[in-house]
Amino acid sequence: MRSDSEQLPSGQLGRLLRVGAVGVGAALLLSFPAMAPNPYYLSAGIVVLSYAVLATSWNFVGGLTGYISLGHGALAGLGGYGTALLVTKAGLPSFVALFGAALLVALLAIPLGFAALRVRGASFVIVSIALVLILLLVFQSWASLTGGSRGLVVLRPFPGLLRPEHHRVFFFLYAALLAAALIAWWLIDRSRFGLGLKAIREDEDKAEALGTPTLSYKLIVFVVSAAFTGLGGGLYALWFGDLDPVFQFSILTGAYMVLMALLGGVRHLFGPLLGALIVGVGLEYFKVEYGSTPLHLVGSGLLLGVVVMFMPDGVIPAVSHAVRRLRGAADSSIREVTAAELAEQRRPAEPEEARR
Amino acid sequence: MTLATVELSKSFGGVAALDAATVTFRPGQVNALIGPNGSGKTTFFNCVTGMIRPDSGRVAYQGKDITGTAPHRIARAGMGRTFQLCRVFGRMTALDNVLVAARSGSLVERLRSPRSRDHVERARGWLARMGIDHLEHAEAGAMSWGQQKLLELAGVLMSDPETVLLDEPAGGVNPALIDRIADLVRELNAEGKTFVIVEHNMDLVMSLSDHIVVFDRGRPIAEGPPSVIRSDERVLGAYLGV
Ligand SMILES: Nc1ncnc2c1ncn2[C@@H]1O[C@H](COP(=O)(O)OP(=O)(O)O)[C@@H](O)[C@H]1O
Ligand SMILES: [Mg+2]
Repeated sequence: MRSDSEQLPSGQLGRLLRVGAVGVGAALLLSFPAMAPNPYYLSAGIVVLSYAVLATSWNFVGGLTGYISLGHGALAGLGGYGTALLVTKAGLPSFVALFGAALLVALLAIPLGFAALRVRGASFVIVSIALVLILLLVFQSWASLTGGSRGLVVLRPFPGLLRPEHHRVFFFLYAALLAAALIAWWLIDRSRFGLGLKAIREDEDKAEALGTPTLSYKLIVFVVSAAFTGLGGGLYALWFGDLDPVFQFSILTGAYMVLMALLGGVRHLFGPLLGALIVGVGLEYFKVEYGSTPLHLVGSGLLLGVVVMFMPDGVIPAVSHAVRRLRGAADSSIREVTAAELAEQRRPAEPEEARR
Repeated sequence: MTLATVELSKSFGGVAALDAATVTFRPGQVNALIGPNGSGKTTFFNCVTGMIRPDSGRVAYQGKDITGTAPHRIARAGMGRTFQLCRVFGRMTALDNVLVAARSGSLVERLRSPRSRDHVERARGWLARMGIDHLEHAEAGAMSWGQQKLLELAGVLMSDPETVLLDEPAGGVNPALIDRIADLVRELNAEGKTFVIVEHNMDLVMSLSDHIVVFDRGRPIAEGPPSVIRSDERVLGAYLGV
């Protein structure tokens, strides 16, 4: 077995195929606004894309360090409210407000991460949930600032644009943000820093005993994750133009990010994007077909169960495993050599195997 | 004085794992730390490497007080360790396991590829020295127990320690591999590395070490060269069960 970030020696063709696939995917994505039959489809596409941004942002922490945060919805909400308030109360231009808010979210992530990243496993999950609940209460009750549950309306950044044009612009803005998040994840994944993060995911004490400054590493990647999540939330505020704490600080947002990333595969660059496409399209479909029943929640819950039980590494590894088995040619021979070597190496060591 | 503790104590829920242990290990030597199960040897390692904060007492390394220092700083100060139940990064390749331990300075340097020429060369060198370089692309979790122990050692050595703490290096390992590990320790010691070895295999301890410290119930009860320890009555009573 090979670790996922490892390039196959025979990978020249593989790399070409991969670059080609990414190019085709990007072209399909960018042609969606032109192909969408009506503005409704386009706005559904934006929602799905925003999920992809959030799930990819979540995966900086979840995928690289293995810390499962259910609280990222709160960071998106803060990005949204931050942007909205900087526009409405401070009178900043929309996109200055967007980046200002993301910067504030990133700064806030330093103390938050400092506190939360000290606890591991289930405790971390619970701390992250607490963050959402606390912020929901704050933003709901601080009505003078946030408009409370009456909502907060943000002026559109391009007042001259008609609705379909407005959607089209935001579709491309989200696509650009997604590309930036993917590139950042890719760069970290293939760096020494990324290797340290993956060591933390595997065995944090061991990583630290080898000299990895684990707390700083986790904190840095958490801040990066928070900044992208804040941008995702802020862009939503500018696009949708109306914020309600119940939706902005919903535990569901974080849960969807987790579901999407796990479904697609947290170890893979495009895993969260794929998961967001599947779950996001599913959610939009349910919304149209069944209105606001809780049916989509049941569906999401079931899906999460299936993923955790049967595809703990997500769709991408499951599919690529199957493909590799079918193809059976060039690169499986490499795998077999390794396996054979292993078997040979193992023979003299057999008695000690029994002791494990 | 390489590694020394003064009155180091640590208890877990009322049970004293370390009881005012004052110990000094010698630089440039192969030191052994022996004692019955539960006598606090692993807890001692955990305290001196910063993984556990002692309740009281001090740890000094190369003349500096390192009590309460973070484990990664202690590792960077030159103290490396293996774990009693061998710990490797199961879903990484053997090569990546070793590369994790490579040092980088600035943040910019940390954004470079982990597989830079010099790092890979050094990592391969350690894998070769352990005799497992043919497995560099194998996933660590799929390797045999003995290979994982060698891999763990390769990783620790990649971090370039001056002092190496080994927690039961021969535990669950076949006799041929025990000899190989013993040879490696001798070679590395000849190259200047100090060792502190926790081990139950008495033949190995007696043949390998220059200096032995015997623990019982969280504190040293005897110390000296193998010839002295072999005939010490307290040791025979407490540990060797005679
Ligand atoms: N993390 C822990 N929690 C609770 N008790 C522990 C822990 N680590 C060690 N102990 C206890 O401390 C004592 C010493 O254990 P240890 O240091 O592992 O001994 P040794 O390595 O000499 O066998 C034992 O009684 C053990 O049960
Ligand atoms: Mg022990």
